[in-house]
Amino acid sequence: MAWRETRAAWRHFIYFLTCIALGVGAVVGIGLFAANVERAVTREARGLLGGDLEVRVSHRLSDSGQAVLQSLADRGIVISHASELVAMTAAIDDRQAGSNRVTQLVELKAVESNYPLYGTVHVEPSQPLTDLLMPSTNLCRLPSNSHALHPSPITLHAPCYGAVVQKSLLIRMGLSVGNRLKIGQATFLITGIIRKEPDRMANMFSLGPRVLISQQGLTATGLIKPESRVRERHLLKVPSSVELQPLLYEVRGRLAAESARVSSYREAQPQLKQFLDQLARYLGLIGLTALFVGGIGVSMSVQAFLREKLSSIAILKTFGAESHTIVFTYLGQGIGLGLIGSLAGVAVGVGLQWVLPTALAGLLDSNLLEQVEFSSSLSRASVLPILKGIGVGLFTTLLFTLWPLLSIRHVRPAQIFRRDIATGGEDTVGPLRGRWGTLRRWRSLEDRTRLMTATVIATGLVSLSIWQAGSWRIGLLFLGALAVAVLLLLIVAHALIKVIRLVSLPRAVSVRHAISNLQRPGSQTTGVIVAIGIGVMVIVAVGVLERSLIRQIGENRPTDAPTFFFIDIQPDQASGFSRLIHQQTGDLSPELTPLVRSRLHAINGQPVKVEEDSDKDHEKKDEKRKTWYFTREYVLTFGKQLPQNNIVTKGAWWKPGQTFSKPLVSVEEEAAKNLGLDIGSTVELEIQGATVTAEVSSIRKVDWGNFSTNFYMILSPGSLDGAPFTYVATVRVAPEQEVPLQQVVVAMFPNVTAINIGDVLDSFARILDRLSLAIRAVALFCVLAGGLVMAAALAATRYRRLYESVILKALGATRGLIARSFAAEFALMGAVAGLIGIVLASTLSWAVLHYIFDLPWSLQPKVLATGLALTIILTLIVGFLSTFRILGQRPLAVLRHE
Amino acid sequence: MIAIHHLTMRLAGGRHHITILDDVTIEIPEKQRVAVVGPSGSGKSTLLGLIAGLDQPTSGSIKLDGVEITTMPESALARYRREKIGYIFQSFHLIPTLTALENVSVPLELAGAANASDRATDLLKAVGLNDRLDHYPVQLSGGEQQRVAVARAFACRPPILLADEPTGNLDSVTGRQVIDLLLSLHRDHGTTLVLVTHDQELASQMERIVSLRDGRIEADERRG
Repeated sequence: MAWRETRAAWRHFIYFLTCIALGVGAVVGIGLFAANVERAVTREARGLLGGDLEVRVSHRLSDSGQAVLQSLADRGIVISHASELVAMTAAIDDRQAGSNRVTQLVELKAVESNYPLYGTVHVEPSQPLTDLLMPSTNLCRLPSNSHALHPSPITLHAPCYGAVVQKSLLIRMGLSVGNRLKIGQATFLITGIIRKEPDRMANMFSLGPRVLISQQGLTATGLIKPESRVRERHLLKVPSSVELQPLLYEVRGRLAAESARVSSYREAQPQLKQFLDQLARYLGLIGLTALFVGGIGVSMSVQAFLREKLSSIAILKTFGAESHTIVFTYLGQGIGLGLIGSLAGVAVGVGLQWVLPTALAGLLDSNLLEQVEFSSSLSRASVLPILKGIGVGLFTTLLFTLWPLLSIRHVRPAQIFRRDIATGGEDTVGPLRGRWGTLRRWRSLEDRTRLMTATVIATGLVSLSIWQAGSWRIGLLFLGALAVAVLLLLIVAHALIKVIRLVSLPRAVSVRHAISNLQRPGSQTTGVIVAIGIGVMVIVAVGVLERSLIRQIGENRPTDAPTFFFIDIQPDQASGFSRLIHQQTGDLSPELTPLVRSRLHAINGQPVKVEEDSDKDHEKKDEKRKTWYFTREYVLTFGKQLPQNNIVTKGAWWKPGQTFSKPLVSVEEEAAKNLGLDIGSTVELEIQGATVTAEVSSIRKVDWGNFSTNFYMILSPGSLDGAPFTYVATVRVAPEQEVPLQQVVVAMFPNVTAINIGDVLDSFARILDRLSLAIRAVALFCVLAGGLVMAAALAATRYRRLYESVILKALGATRGLIARSFAAEFALMGAVAGLIGIVLASTLSWAVLHYIFDLPWSLQPKVLATGLALTIILTLIVGFLSTFRILGQRPLAVLRHE
Repeated sequence: MIAIHHLTMRLAGGRHHITILDDVTIEIPEKQRVAVVGPSGSGKSTLLGLIAGLDQPTSGSIKLDGVEITTMPESALARYRREKIGYIFQSFHLIPTLTALENVSVPLELAGAANASDRATDLLKAVGLNDRLDHYPVQLSGGEQQRVAVARAFACRPPILLADEPTGNLDSVTGRQVIDLLLSLHRDHGTTLVLVTHDQELASQMERIVSLRDGRIEADERRG
C-alpha cells in the first residue's frame, strides 16, 4: 500500500525529499569538513608544532638555559633553534639611490640546518633548504659587467646568505628569484620560493610575507638586540626511548627561570585547529537550523499529502482498519522518504565540503589548509559525519512527520464523505488544519499520545542540538534562541496579518484578494513566514555583524589615528629617529614611548604559577580569561604623563615633580579586576631575570579602540631604570608620504620595523570578509530551505489556487488580475517574513556584538533594506515558479474534471 | 442574439481525437429560454462552456450581437464573461474559503462596482439567504449553495444566464426552488436563459429544446 501511495503523491514527496536533503547536506558538508580538518591536523601535529616538544621564549636563552638544552642534546634529543620576528626588508636595486628602495614588512624566520625536524619544507627550486639558505659564494657574485659599474655591497670575501621567500613578497616588491634583499645590516640573495612550511604558526593574521633565512644570516642582520621582539623556538625531537610527558615536566621545571612556555605536540592545540573546530561547530548549528526549517516543509508536505488521502483513510477506516495501522503505514513511508532524502543530502554534503575549503582558502594568508595537506577526499574519517547526517535526517523526519500523522486518529469517516460536495476544500477538515496557530492544537495536548509525542519531539530537538553543538550550554542556548525566534515570528506574523486586514481596505481587487488569501485557514502563511524569517534572520545577522565589525575597525578610526607604528627603536637611535621624523614630516616632537617586556612574577608576595596545560579543562570562558591575565606577557612603559584617552578611576596619577621612594604602578581596570589588584597591592614583575616590585597607586580605564599605544601597566618614572627597553613611535603622515617615509626610515634604521595601520586594518577586513563569505555560504542553506518550505506550502495549496483561479476566470477575471493577486500575496508574505527577519537579525547581531565582542551595535539600514528587498524578491520568484502554470489553465478543462 | 456556426470541438485522447461537438450551428435570439438536452457525453456542457468563452473551440464561430468571441484576446474575453455572461455550474463551484457574501461579491468587485458588499447582500436576500451571509460553502446545504451560485451568476445583471444542470445535484424540492428562481430572473429582467438538463419536466418549461447526440444536433424543437 505504501508504495502505491508514494507513486501518487510525488509532488509532496519531492518537497519532502528536498527539504531533508538540503538540511542533511548542510550538516554533512560541515561535518565532513570538520573531520578532514581534524584528521589533517592530527596527522600533522608534530609537523605543525615543529617537534615533539617546543620550548618558546621571547628572548635569547640565558647561558644556564642554553646549558639545559645542551644537557638534553647529550641525551640524544635533537634540537633545532628557530627565531621568528617581524622585520623590514628593502629591495636592492643598483639603479636607485639608497633611500628610494622598495620596502616591505615581513615575517622573518631564521632556522638551523636540521630544520625542519618533522614534515618537509616545499621550496622551489627543489633543492635542499640548507643549500638555498647558505648558497655557495659564487652565486652571490654579480655578473662582471654589472659589478664593474655598480660596486656590490657583497664582496668576494663576505659570506653569502640566501633567503627563501613567499611568492607574495616577490609580487609586492616587484622582485624575482636571483634579486637581492637587505634585511637589517645584511644582504640576502633570494634563492627560492616557499610553497609549504610545516610549522608556520596557524595565524589567520599575518603581518607580512614569510622570509626564511639561516641563523647565521639572522646574526648578520644585527636585528637581535636585548629588547627586540622575537619569538625564540627551540624544537625538540625526542627519541622513542624517552617518555615525552616526564620530559615535558622536567624541561618546564628546569627552564622556569627563563619564563619559557614548553608544550608537546599532543597538547599544543594549534590555533588553526581550534579556530576551524569552532567555525565548524557554529556552521554546524546553522546547518541544523536549515534542517529544522526544512522540517517545517516536511511537516507541511505530510499534511498536504494527508489531506489528499483523507478519502482513502476514511475508506480504510470504514472497512475496519485501525488508526495505528494507518499511522504506522504512513510513518514507514515517511521514514523511507527521509532515508532517501538523507542519502541525497549526503551527496549534497560531499559537494559542499568541496566548496567550503575553497571559500575559506583566501581567509588564511599562509594557505593553512594546504599546509596541513588538507584534502576533501573521503576517507574512513568521513564515515562518522555521513552516518551522523543520515541519523540527523531520519530523526528530523520522524520528529516532523509524527505530529501531523497523529491527526489520522481523529479522522471520522462520515465527516470525510460529507465533505465530498465541497471539493477543493482541503482546509475544511478540522484536525488537519494548518499546523500553526489553531487553538485546537493546544487543546489536543490533553490527548496523552500527543503529549507524549510532543515530549519526544522536544527531547529529540534538544538532543540533536546539543549533539551538533558539542556542548550542553551552546546547544541549549542555540535552541533557546531558535525557539524565541520561532515564537516571535509566529506571534508577530499573526498580528501583522491581522493588522494588515484591519487597517487596509485596498480598492484593488487583486490586493484585497491577496490579503484574504494570506489568512485563510490552511494557507500555511505563518509556517512559511517562520521558515523564511529564520533564514533571513541568520543571513542578515551575518551581514550586519560583518558590517559592524568592519565599521568598528575601519570607519570609526579617529581622524588623528596614527599612520605608522615604528617598533624596536633602540635607545641610542631615539634622538636620530626623532630628527628624521622631524625632517620628513615637520612633526617637532614625535611621540616615542619606551617599552619594557615583562611577566608577572608575584602578586602581593604570592608567586604566580604558570599552568601551561590549564587551557585544557577550562571550558569556562571567564576562567580562561583570568588565566590569560596571569600568564600573558606584559609590555610596560614608564612616564610622567597620563596617556590620552585614559581616565583614572581609582587612586591618583603621580603629580608633577613627585619623588618616588618605591616604584608605583598604574593598572588597567579589567586587568586589575582579573588579577585581584587594588590600590596598595604589590605587583612583582620579572624583566629578563631581574624583578621589580611596584605598588599599585592608581587604576585606569583605557579606550582600547583609540589606535594609540595602550598599556595594562604603567610604572612611575625611574622605576625601570637599567632595564633593557626599546621605543615605539606613532607617526601620522599624509597618504602620499607613507611610502617615502617608510623607505627613508628603513634605509637609515634597518632594524626599525614599520607597521602600517591601514594595511593591518585592511587585512583584518579581508579576513572578516572571507569568514563572512564562508558563513553566508552555509546560511544560504537556511534561506534555500525557507524558499523550499514556501514552495512546499504552495504545492500544498496548488490545487485550491488552480480551482479558484479558474472560477475567478469564469466570473470574468483576467489572467493579469490573478497574477497580480498572487504577486501581491507573495510580496506581502515576503515583506512580513523579511521585516520580522531583519528585526530579529538586528536583535541577534546586537546580542552577539554586546555579549561576545563587547562592541556597540549600530543600525545598518543598508544591509537591512537589502535583506528585506531580497526576501521579497525571493518570495516572488518562488511564488512565480510555483504558480505560473496555473495561470495558463483554461477554465472548462479544469472544471470538467470536477 | 447568440449565433453559433459550424462549431467543432475535438480533444486529443491517446492516439485518437475525441469529437465532442461536430459542426453545430444554432442561433439563439435575445430573451429566449432554451433547454439543451441529450445523453451523457453528447457535448451539452461543452457547448455551454464554449458560449461562455471558457475554452477555445477547434473550429467554427460564436458571435454575440455580431461580435466574434472565439478569437477574442484574453482580456476582452474576461470582460465579455464579466459583462455578458452569468454561469451556473452543476457542482456550484463556490470558492470554498470565501463566505456566501464574499462569493457573491467577487463578480461585482471584478466589475469594479462601488458598493459590492451591499449589492451582494441584497442579492442573497432576494434568493432567501439573508441569514446565511457569513457562512462558508461547506456550512450550507446543496440547495443553499446553488442559490448562492445563482445570486453570484446574476450579480452583474448579465443579459445571458448559462446554467449547466443547475438541479443535477439537488433533490426535487430544492431543485424546484432553484428553477423558480431562474425563471423569475428571466421573467423580471428579460435575461436570455440557456440551460443544460436531463430533467424532462424542466426542459418542458423552456420555449425551445435543442437535443444533442454524439456532438450533433439531433432535434431543435420550438414550443409555445
